[in-house]
Amino acid sequence: MMTTFPNPIDFAVPAFVLLIVLEMIWAKRCAPEKYEPKDTLISLSMGFGSTVAGLIVAGGVYAMAVAAYDFRLTTIPFAWWAWGLCFVLDDLAYYAFHRSAHRVRWFWASHVNHHSSQHYNLSTALRQTWTGFIAVSFIFRLPLMLIGFHPAMVFFCGAINLIYQFWIHTEVVDRFPRWFEAVMNTPSHHRVHHATNPRYLDRNYAGVFIIWDRMFGTFTPEVADDPVRYGLVRQIGSFNLIWVAFHEWAGIARDLWSAPWRHKLGYIWKQPGWSHDNSRDTSDHIRQRWQDKQAWKTSTSSSSGAAQEAAQPPVG
Amino acid sequence: MLAELIKFGVSLGSILALAGFAWMLKLGGDMRIRDSRHARDIAQEQVFDFIPVDVVLDRAGMGALLRDIEGRQLLISRHGAAFVGRMLDRSVDARLDQNFLILDTHDMGVRPITLNLGEDAPVWASALRRLPS
Repeated sequence: MMTTFPNPIDFAVPAFVLLIVLEMIWAKRCAPEKYEPKDTLISLSMGFGSTVAGLIVAGGVYAMAVAAYDFRLTTIPFAWWAWGLCFVLDDLAYYAFHRSAHRVRWFWASHVNHHSSQHYNLSTALRQTWTGFIAVSFIFRLPLMLIGFHPAMVFFCGAINLIYQFWIHTEVVDRFPRWFEAVMNTPSHHRVHHATNPRYLDRNYAGVFIIWDRMFGTFTPEVADDPVRYGLVRQIGSFNLIWVAFHEWAGIARDLWSAPWRHKLGYIWKQPGWSHDNSRDTSDHIRQRWQDKQAWKTSTSSSSGAAQEAAQPPVG
Repeated sequence: MLAELIKFGVSLGSILALAGFAWMLKLGGDMRIRDSRHARDIAQEQVFDFIPVDVVLDRAGMGALLRDIEGRQLLISRHGAAFVGRMLDRSVDARLDQNFLILDTHDMGVRPITLNLGEDAPVWASALRRLPS
């Protein structure tokens, strides 16, 4: 008999709605520009569409998970320690997925939806992709099944992980105590992840535990003198739901059509922003130019006034 | 199946209710570009290494055109309660109608923007024709 658990997200949705209402009331009082009704409608519609897309492909994903489980190395029981271990390893798998989602354009085409809002509020958390299945994002969880965790356990832990990530999409909360910020993903850490500031690009991929970013060198703290700006390096600038859902896929198709044959695959598996003629910027390019500019500022501020006058800022 | 349909309906209803609530609270507000300093700040937020040397504002504060030391031009336009920047090249369609400059960047899902630039409109329209391709 197939083992299943109730979907915890079903139980969390009423709390999501309530918290969004409370955050909107906060925004009305403190910062009305933190919410944009059209943007909120898009985010919620993306969340709704994502649920529908998830229902359509759920059978296929579960079948693949069970197939992987059939080849498991060992059988891990439904013991308390196994739940804990599964949750931690699933979060590591999430980190790997999330990092790939930002560094490989095929995966990014699906994940970009979550980042296309210029606002950062609880409704942004629900701005989820419709095309996760095409981007094969589920493959990152398969190793857990191959180790021996039951698919039902893995998907349950994944759902809890997703619920945790909801509340960190807010500007209402500033910082938590240091011990909490050191271990857990928090609103502050995740604001950095959604930022377009060069300092923050492609950082803080964590789901629940920020320790993965600290371990793998992708952690950047939020700093007070560089307020976070949200969205994409090239903002989408549209409230068209279909365009929001598919614009990067359309971009890939356009590039595949126009690129020389030997470069076509690069537009699928290389970093977002990569181009064969270097006519575009990746996040690495942008950060490098920003760091060069910062270094130039530092060097001129420490040199003499005459040298400052003679110096020119780096351009290009 | 019935349970799924009910869930579907409740989700749809919640989305509309939340969006309606945001509208009712008048969230977002009426964002405008206040002055050229504001436009410069927005420009640098959009493209960190764009250092504007010349700015022209739409009279209603809905957009702005900026030029940097390298001759690059950046269009800023309002997008809901935020702003969007676009580096312009020769692919932009620019139409001059007296004091109005109508710009179409051919971005999907984005309408052309009409900027009331007053007497500066012809000067900026002319500069757009000198942009690199």
